[in-house]
Amino acid sequence: MSETEIEWPWQYNFPPFFTLQPHAETRAKQVQAWKSLILDYCKKCKLYLIDVREASNIPLFNNSGINRKLEQTVIVSILSELQKTGHAAPIDKPKNRWEIYWHTLEEWSSMIYDYVSNRGLQGSVLTLYELSQGDDVKDEEFYEMQQEVLIKVLQTLEKDRKCELILSDDDQGVKFF
Amino acid sequence: MRRRAGLGAIQKQKLEQEKYKDKSNEIQENQFEQMSKQLEFFKTNLEEFASKHKNEIKKNPEFRRQFQEMCASIGVDPLSSGKGFWSVLGIGDFYYELAVQIVEVCLATNDKNGGLISLEELRTRLINARGQRKEHQEISKDDLLRAAQKLKIFGSGFNVIPYGKGKFMVQSVPGELSMDHSAILTQASASNRAYVSVNFLRKELSWETERSQNALENLVNQGLAWVDLQEPTHEKLYYFPSLFNECISA
Repeated sequence: MSETEIEWPWQYNFPPFFTLQPHAETRAKQVQAWKSLILDYCKKCKLYLIDVREASNIPLFNNSGINRKLEQTVIVSILSELQKTGHAAPIDKPKNRWEIYWHTLEEWSSMIYDYVSNRGLQGSVLTLYELSQGDDVKDEEFYEMQQEVLIKVLQTLEKDRKCELILSDDDQGVKFF
Repeated sequence: MRRRAGLGAIQKQKLEQEKYKDKSNEIQENQFEQMSKQLEFFKTNLEEFASKHKNEIKKNPEFRRQFQEMCASIGVDPLSSGKGFWSVLGIGDFYYELAVQIVEVCLATNDKNGGLISLEELRTRLINARGQRKEHQEISKDDLLRAAQKLKIFGSGFNVIPYGKGKFMVQSVPGELSMDHSAILTQASASNRAYVSVNFLRKELSWETERSQNALENLVNQGLAWVDLQEPTHEKLYYFPSLFNECISA
């Protein structure tokens, strides 16, 4: 999806939005606005992974129109806030690479399980490719879900004994119960 | 030869004085009665006028302003008299209703502007929230100011701050805004950029660095100004969401 289709909130063009605010109350509003903007943006662009070191390549964190960028340390602190509600998680120790969950893993898993139940697919085996790239799921929100995230979503379902992951080298599939 | 004051003369004088006194009392009473009559007459007329033009007063902002001025000139405040004739008439209700709507708009926008809103934005939002009928739409700035002034009685929570020429901001959070703050808002709005800096204030108002800094930091601490540290000149800029166009129209 191209950037032009993104409806930026007014803050995006407000230069101080890109400087962490010193006043606690204002900062809380700022962080809140950033949290929703990040999730909205990732949802619209189907962006599952953010590398903080390359964040300035994403228009989200770099508004060239007003020449303002969000600093990496600030990005990490906002992502950490998102982590608290299960909307993001770092996938490396130095917290450079982050997975973004505009739906939490739990929300994703019930979405996928609903799909499976509605189609009566319990008991059958689906490949991960089918589940995320297949023609049948084109209209589903989890269409084109990144495989690493998909596996995490299925693992939450597995914990509830609603599916079993089959992850061999060449065969990656899932059986639903 | 000078006549000596006799008892008779004194008594005569006393009598005359008493007569004078009586007469003056009589005149005073007459005048008072007449004045009362006149005032009563005037009040009746004003009430008659008001009830006759009740709808006009509610509908027409210009008429409303003139009526308010007329009342003010004889010391009647239709807004402050909650009992009796004026409350029956419902003139006050009009402003009370407006005041409630002002509070609603302020609360709704508080999140983005920190509790400071220009009268223009307030009017636009308030009118949008009101019904589509013409009388709902015709709310003048004068009406809003009168209603907003009434909100002051709730303490420091509500305040009307003049800035620039004939411009007003309504503050809906407790906090004191001084003349300096008002001058800063005037500058930020006049520059049409919604921001100022210490240098800018030095140039425009010849303020010392400390004076500017104190006032600006105070505005930041009241949540009314945001800080921008990414200006290429490395100058610290202070932005006002309440004056920022995209925030106003958002």
